[in-house]
Amino acid sequence: MSLATLTRLALAGNRTDAARVALTALSALLATLAALAALTVLAIEKPPGDAWQQSEQYVSDLLSQPGLRGGTAFALVLLTIPVLALAGQSARLGAPSRDRRLAALRLAGATSGQVSRVAMLETGFASLGGTLVGLAAYLIGRSVLHRPDANGLLALPTDVLPPVSAMAAVVFGLPVLAAAATAVLLRRVVTTPLGVVRRAGRTGSPRPWPALLIGLGVLAAAMIEQIQWALQGAGLEWLALIALLGIFGAVMGVIFGVGWISHLAGRTLHRFARRPAALLAARRLTDDPWASSRTFAALLAALIIAGGAAAFRASFRLHAEIEQEQNRQAGYGGEIYYNPFYLDTMNLVDLAVAVAVVIAVAGLFVTLVEGIVSRRRAYAALVATGVPRATIGTSIVWQVLTPVVPAVLIALGVGYAIGRLLTGGVGRGGPQPDVPLGQLASQGAGAIIAVLLVVGLGMLFLRSNTAVEELRAT
Amino acid sequence: MTQLQARGLVKSYGPTPALRGITLDIDEGEIVAVTGPSGCGKSTLLHCLAGILRPDAGEVSWQGHRLDTWSEAARSRLRRTDFGVLFQFGQLVAELTAAENVALPLLLAGTGRRAARTAALTWLERLGVAECADLRPGEMSGGQQQRCATARALVTEPRVLFADEPTGALDTLTGEQVLTQLVRLAREQHTSVVLVTHEPRIAAYADREVILRDGVIDHTGLGLDAPLTGGAR
Amino acid sequence: MSTPHLLLGLLSTGTMHGYELKRAHDTRLPQARPLAFGQVYATLGRLLRDGLVASTGPERSAGPDRTAYTLTEQGRATLDRWLSSIEPPMPYVNSPLFAKVVVALLVADADRARAYLVAQRRAHTERLRELTALKTAPSATVDDVVAADYAIAHLDADLRWLHTTLDRVADWHREVHS
Repeated sequence: MSLATLTRLALAGNRTDAARVALTALSALLATLAALAALTVLAIEKPPGDAWQQSEQYVSDLLSQPGLRGGTAFALVLLTIPVLALAGQSARLGAPSRDRRLAALRLAGATSGQVSRVAMLETGFASLGGTLVGLAAYLIGRSVLHRPDANGLLALPTDVLPPVSAMAAVVFGLPVLAAAATAVLLRRVVTTPLGVVRRAGRTGSPRPWPALLIGLGVLAAAMIEQIQWALQGAGLEWLALIALLGIFGAVMGVIFGVGWISHLAGRTLHRFARRPAALLAARRLTDDPWASSRTFAALLAALIIAGGAAAFRASFRLHAEIEQEQNRQAGYGGEIYYNPFYLDTMNLVDLAVAVAVVIAVAGLFVTLVEGIVSRRRAYAALVATGVPRATIGTSIVWQVLTPVVPAVLIALGVGYAIGRLLTGGVGRGGPQPDVPLGQLASQGAGAIIAVLLVVGLGMLFLRSNTAVEELRAT
Repeated sequence: MTQLQARGLVKSYGPTPALRGITLDIDEGEIVAVTGPSGCGKSTLLHCLAGILRPDAGEVSWQGHRLDTWSEAARSRLRRTDFGVLFQFGQLVAELTAAENVALPLLLAGTGRRAARTAALTWLERLGVAECADLRPGEMSGGQQQRCATARALVTEPRVLFADEPTGALDTLTGEQVLTQLVRLAREQHTSVVLVTHEPRIAAYADREVILRDGVIDHTGLGLDAPLTGGAR
Repeated sequence: MSTPHLLLGLLSTGTMHGYELKRAHDTRLPQARPLAFGQVYATLGRLLRDGLVASTGPERSAGPDRTAYTLTEQGRATLDRWLSSIEPPMPYVNSPLFAKVVVALLVADADRARAYLVAQRRAHTERLRELTALKTAPSATVDDVVAADYAIAHLDADLRWLHTTLDRVADWHREVHS
């Protein structure tokens, strides 16, 4: 098959395919930006001097202190995780119709290799477009943002550029990775020309076992002092590993627990639903409770971190206040002194969480639109029989909000509990940091408002997808 | 008495004309088949009559009121209360059980859940699919699905039932059974039926046949506008 | 239609009088051309002569109505033979409708041909509707439905053929007149 034929077939999709291509490109763009930012931080050269010699040209300690730069870069790389979640959700967009199209190519005589090349080409080119735009955005951004302040200090490391080879690896490596991932995901279609495999019966209803994982995670955090004591200087790495495992377990527990929450919420809603909208939502929730897990995974992970960060911030504040109190008692009076480094770091963590939430919400949007698009025939038929679009819209709102509200509360609660336990009090019986209810509430409300905004935006797609023309396509 | 009246309906999709001036009356309790070759405008006519589409020109009147000037919300309400709509396939909500699908229009009208379920079960029984009440569309055969859809279209006891190729996805025998039940129930309730089909044997269930060809009514039924002989010369 | 075989088949369910035979015929083949009593007796006479049926009950002098007929062994064998021989599937196309449509398309007077075709289509459609009403009536028996289905399928085929043929008319004229 010639490249022209391949390209023609790769581009032979409908508007859902176009949306998937656009989103693939967008996630590639975001991943490129995160990776290039991490590379830039790593590219900062340590000035000559001892191991602690700072790069004085930056405002933030995170950039100027050589010991912290690794962590900063690592945090930036972590930001690609919600981006990858977004990419994964994009890949599901219109997947059934693409699977059918590819299976049709197989029926028409294409070999499995040719079919996977068509699909890989789509993803690869889309990602390449994204990474190239990302590179351009990065290059433009660094020259635009290169603004030394009055002291000649830089907010961002706009004075260094990562090695060209590293940049090239990102720009060309990401599309190759994406294409390879596509090939793996399409194994099933590639093997059979009949392509579409029926989903095996209803899966069993979820059980509340993931709560155990959450419990283990919280327990690990609660026992951190004892563990530290038991390890007896066996190295801070082990302690960090246990803490990370605990957090990871809790995150997984919350994400999988949402399946159970959805199912429970669906059953409860079904029992009390009076209006068709709530009934529809209830049935969808019990029908595929794991859909909520998939949809909200990135958002909930970000919120757990946010909850933990809130606990850390509260703890830092408390320590600062205690210090001030001690100073006052010692007769030094004066302003309360917050160590700017910790609070700066917390601000950055919060910023990262906010970015992660935005990306997660984008992924949520994709899933939402996918749900509408894949049900468009049934929706159009409902509208034709006189069901108001508002009823369908309300059912989607119910379907999203019913599981997300408890899930957000649990995520923040778990995150806060772990953070609180890890920071510990100030000695036994000493003052305990107040629960930062305001901050937690604003994080939870922010997340739910973001979800609502996304649902509202998704409603715009409802109109075009319930047009009577959808009934003609057979 | 004339229930539904169309006067000079014109409708185009972009540059493609679908209806080029259709005038048609549908009386109370009358079953009218709309037939014609593919692409003659049958479905478009049905959609205009049911208030799903607005015609570009011409009028649609329902019991003497201009329907085509109503708002989308008002037409939606009319479709919910006075009209029933039945398509070829794929109209049931996949996540709802058969009984819930049938109860849906009643719930929308504000009927309580218990009463709506009772009515739904009665209608499923009438269409001979009572045993499917708690199954989902994916667990039913095509014929059972279409019977459920018929029950849903009739559960509000509509004044007009619009059926677009209702047997198109079924085998001959199942299609006949579904249609026989539909026609019998419509006659019992004095419901008018607009039945779009391309098959003469399905059209034969109607009291009257309207044949469309290229967006106009063909009174000969044979598309005999062109000269019969010497056509090639 | 093979009336002797039909009567043999009806008699295979048991001994019958002549009028019972006629009634059974009309019930089982409701849409068939009605069978006259004379034809029933004439056919029975021939079957009796060939030894395919036997008469029982009162003597012939008591009148034809009093005689009951029963299938003989030979009659059963003949019936079996007939049942196991296949009907040739449409060996000749000799329907009056076919002939008339072809001639109608051939004649120069287009209006006349058009009028004929329209009238024929209308008649077909009306008969189709009549048969559909008959078979969907609540009182319809399975015999009625089977008979109506047969007729409906054929009328449906005729109508489809008529439409297809008219759509082919341009091609047809090219072939005939060039």
